[in-house]
Amino acid sequence: MNIHGFVAAGGDIDPSESVHWLWPPAAELIYGGIASLIIFSLLWKFAGPTAKKGMADRTARIQADLDAADAAVTGARQEAEEIRRAAGDINAERSRLLAEADAQAADILSDGRARIDAEVAELEARAAADAASMGDRLGDELRAQIVSLSAEVTQRLLAETLDDAAQQQMIEGFIQKVGSSS
Amino acid sequence: MSDARIEGYARALFEIARAEGTLDEVEDELFRFARSFESSDALRNALTDETVPADRRQGIVESLLGDRATATTMQLVSMVIGSGRGRDLPEIIDSLVARASRSKDLEVAEVRCAVALSDDQKTRLAAALANATGQPVNLKVVVDPSVIGGVVATVGDTVIDGTVRTRLDQLKSRL
Repeated sequence: MNIHGFVAAGGDIDPSESVHWLWPPAAELIYGGIASLIIFSLLWKFAGPTAKKGMADRTARIQADLDAADAAVTGARQEAEEIRRAAGDINAERSRLLAEADAQAADILSDGRARIDAEVAELEARAAADAASMGDRLGDELRAQIVSLSAEVTQRLLAETLDDAAQQQMIEGFIQKVGSSS
Repeated sequence: MSDARIEGYARALFEIARAEGTLDEVEDELFRFARSFESSDALRNALTDETVPADRRQGIVESLLGDRATATTMQLVSMVIGSGRGRDLPEIIDSLVARASRSKDLEVAEVRCAVALSDDQKTRLAAALANATGQPVNLKVVVDPSVIGGVVATVGDTVIDGTVRTRLDQLKSRL
């Protein structure tokens, strides 16, 4: 039982009991309602702007936070995009460099093989020419040695076989030849 | 040695030999000595070695020519060797021989053969060479075993070669 019920009951009423377990008396409702209106009006008048301003500030702050977050998300996305693009560029550059290196390696390998083949061919030709030249030279030396030995043997044989008669015959032949060549 | 100095020595030797009246003998002996000098390294070294005293070298000449040549020849060679002109001895003697030949209107004919020629062969060869060259020759015979056989004659710039040595060389080069 509320105060109004207690007052209305003239004190006879047990204050621990209420007229109605839920609804207060009408007057209490009116007073309470008016007082509530006054309080709410005062609150609306004096605390409302502040609260409204606070709410607006909070809304603005939240909006700013949301915008910042959105900007951060956008920036992050852009940065991620740039990173992805850069990564893509790096991959492309790496691929290009690898392809270029492969091409250069292939060229160097090809040139090296061609040069080695040419050098091998040249060495083979030179070796063949040297072998042929050496063979010719050895043949010439052998022939010269044979000729020299033959001449030496012939000279010794002639010196041994040319007796005085043969010497005189050659001298007489020389005298006749010179005498008849006037 | 310069040509003028060689000619000077040759003229001096020529005049001495002519004055002595032994020009033909001296000329022939000197010519043979010059050929021996050219062909013998030992003789050439002994007579041209400046470290050997001059009287020692002259002693060698005297021992070599003492009983094989006239005194004039020995003295002339000894004089050249003693004056330190041994290296030019062959040229001096060749010049002397040429001078002597010119004095007799002869051309020097140097003949090399493996064996010695008889006097008859020398006479006939001199006549044959005179016939071939068109001028009388002063025949100088050198016995040279290196020719093996045959004869080679040099008269001025003309060489008539009939030696076995030359034929062997030609055969060798042809082979």
